[in-house]
Amino acid sequence: MKLFWSFTRQAFHNTAVYRVEFWIRLVSILLAMYSIRAVWQTLYTQRPDAFGLTLGQMVTYGVLGMALHAFIDTGSEWYIATQVRTGAIDTDLLKPIDFHVHMLARNLGEMLFGMGVMALPTYAIGYFVFGLQLPPDAGAAGLFALSVLLGFLVQFHLGFLLGSVAFATLDIRSIAWAYFAVISFFSGQMVPLWMFPDGLRAVAEVLPLQAVYYIPMSIYIGTYSGPEAWSALGFQALWALTLAGVARLAWHQVHRRLTVQGG
Amino acid sequence: MIHVEHLTKDYRRVKRREGLFGSLRTLFSAEYEPLRAVNDLSFDIAEGELVGYIGPNGAGKSTSIKMLCGILVPSSGRIEVNGLVPHKNRMANALQIGAVFGQKTQLWWDVPVIESLRLFRDIYKVPEPVYRQNLEMFNDLLGLHEFRDAPVRQLSLGQRMRADMAAALIHNPHLLFLDEPMIGVDVVVKERLRTFIQQVNRERKVTVILTTHDMVDIEKVCSRIMIIDHGQIVYDGDLDRIRERYGTTRTLVIEFEESVPDFDAPHARLAKSEGRRKWFAFNRLETSPSALIAHISARYPVADLAVEEPDIEEIVRTVYRGGDPQEAAR
Amino acid sequence: MNPISLYLRLVRIAIKARMQYRADFVTGILGVIVMNVVNISLIGILVSRFADLNGWTIWEVVFLYSLWILGHSLFSLFMWHIRTLEDYLVQGTFDQFLLRPASAFVLFIGREVQYLGIADFAIGASGMALAYSNLRLTWGPVEWGFLVLAILAGTLIEMTLTLMISSIAFWTGRSRRANGLVMQVNVMVQYYPVDIFGAFFRVLVTSVIPVAFMNYYPALMLLGKVEHIGAWWPLAYASPVVALVMVGLAAGVWQLALRQYSSAGG
Repeated sequence: MKLFWSFTRQAFHNTAVYRVEFWIRLVSILLAMYSIRAVWQTLYTQRPDAFGLTLGQMVTYGVLGMALHAFIDTGSEWYIATQVRTGAIDTDLLKPIDFHVHMLARNLGEMLFGMGVMALPTYAIGYFVFGLQLPPDAGAAGLFALSVLLGFLVQFHLGFLLGSVAFATLDIRSIAWAYFAVISFFSGQMVPLWMFPDGLRAVAEVLPLQAVYYIPMSIYIGTYSGPEAWSALGFQALWALTLAGVARLAWHQVHRRLTVQGG
Repeated sequence: MIHVEHLTKDYRRVKRREGLFGSLRTLFSAEYEPLRAVNDLSFDIAEGELVGYIGPNGAGKSTSIKMLCGILVPSSGRIEVNGLVPHKNRMANALQIGAVFGQKTQLWWDVPVIESLRLFRDIYKVPEPVYRQNLEMFNDLLGLHEFRDAPVRQLSLGQRMRADMAAALIHNPHLLFLDEPMIGVDVVVKERLRTFIQQVNRERKVTVILTTHDMVDIEKVCSRIMIIDHGQIVYDGDLDRIRERYGTTRTLVIEFEESVPDFDAPHARLAKSEGRRKWFAFNRLETSPSALIAHISARYPVADLAVEEPDIEEIVRTVYRGGDPQEAAR
Repeated sequence: MNPISLYLRLVRIAIKARMQYRADFVTGILGVIVMNVVNISLIGILVSRFADLNGWTIWEVVFLYSLWILGHSLFSLFMWHIRTLEDYLVQGTFDQFLLRPASAFVLFIGREVQYLGIADFAIGASGMALAYSNLRLTWGPVEWGFLVLAILAGTLIEMTLTLMISSIAFWTGRSRRANGLVMQVNVMVQYYPVDIFGAFFRVLVTSVIPVAFMNYYPALMLLGKVEHIGAWWPLAYASPVVALVMVGLAAGVWQLALRQYSSAGG
């Protein structure tokens, strides 16, 4: 626990020192919101009844997607890859903490910090400027928060898994791009999954990726409510645990290889 | 050759505010505090001198060297290298200097050493016969031919250093900066590099400024030593004096098998005694560790031992205090 | 050694160096291709549900995308590492450029090449070919000539922009986020025709971060849609001029940056 708070505090300090970066990050989120709203507005003026959702709901979906993306994506895969490449992974391995937990605490801390400092201004601006709507009721809001947390866990472990598996290649960059492009595609971050043509939709419904964005955002705008929402949360939790297990296993293999080979 | 007069360099650093709210405030407005890295430095170095430039980390060494290279602009004061003001004539100055950095190579990592050398030959416009002659010399003295076709990333540290040395001298500079060039290098290569430096200095009158933490480098290679601390020169002079007074004290640490009373050994002085351990300070010109150990172990059984060198920080501190070399052993 | 021949020598060495890592070549190329295909599919899905995006049909959107990528690919091949300037500063490698009797700028930009630009080029070329045939375009020498100019202008615009933003690192030590921000704006322009955005954004990507000149404005000319911008029609032909202006600006910023570096240190 103490470890976790120290990471949050550290993330805070790091940003305070590079204060320009903070402002840039904020502007970046606002730009993203702006762009998605423009897209949906354009599309809706042409076919206002194409989707079964109001423009307000669609914009909310899009804007929320952009905002969430800024916090949830902590780039967990980069840390491992860089550490292994530079050899600094040894210091991490020497620490008397479980590496998986260590990384989780670190990334969770960063995410919470991001939320803590920026959630309020971005939400306020989203609401007042970009047409972000409030959730239908307090219950949905609560479920949403829980869902975001679970979605983060899924995202984190996907990244952790990638970092563990791909460390062997020297250049993880393009693999990461492809990996996250596919994730982003099937996670419903930009386009809600029911808009996909049938074949792709079938694939998307099976994959755990929807847990990262589609589920929390659907809960937020009310597409999932009541028992549906709970079962969606269950889906998320199941996948979060499964991925955690798989990632941990993959890391274990890496760890063994590293200590045997000597990095 | 090098003329430095009242050289000063100030930096601005963001003041770090305490606590969480302090950090928040820094987000909106930052306060700066001045940091004086180099403080009124003045010295002259003649052509062909071999100068050891030492001081603790953060003393202002790299700042002053960067100014000599023309990378950094002084806050005030005069600086001239062979009549040129480095920061005003960066490229012209670059032609007459060479540098080797212990931590970082200047060669391209993934291509053969010789490729980097060829490129430098062309950048510095070294005439072909001079280039070939230098390569010959590097082959002889540094064994360059053994690894010239290997990419730098495949070289051992010692080989890399030798390659960097070659690269620094390929264009016959008048002035050579060596920034901790021997770190991590094994003794054999160290000796080779030292000899090389001396030869180049002697035959080509290359002025050398050597930064190092190893007193042996200084002792074997340099004729003059400059000590810098907190941005100021605290000692500038002959090596012999330093050698006599400060550089020769060693400490032999003995752990006895059981607690023994204090005693003195010939040519050594008991500096400290703690439990079963005793620290004996001695002048290595007067006696050797083995002689001491022989004498001591004859008196009492020895469980473990170690020889401590006085580190640069100690010497600098001593010099700064203007103190007794015997005191330095404590 | 004059700057051009120095640059060519450096690039030769950089290519040799990059060839040492051939193992990653295939995965890298595949990765980029997958990423681009996925991204354009996303737009494809959206646009297919509606006939078009503010008057831009799916193949016109592909054209827009491809034109951007072609300019980007050359940047990606030769200049991508400009973004990592902050690393050069932090690790002290930049100092070495200042130790040589040559332009630090040339030494820096000639330092690396990235093979991923090849994948970008392949995607851009294929996309452009597909769009050309599906849109049944018929270009004369003027259009082909302008295409080449537009691509080169695009490369220069992205390069100068990246250089100026990365130079922030000389003052603040970091430029990663700023680069990310500009990249974000750049990506918005890559996928979406600028006219779907409001006036503020359009002004932003036309005059402040002129990435709209990488694809949107030249596309108007090449696709015969210049009337979209009415009285502003000269902009459709202006990308080479904009590129030159950016070069001038970037040169100025670089000089300031070097001066900053030599006074404030590493």
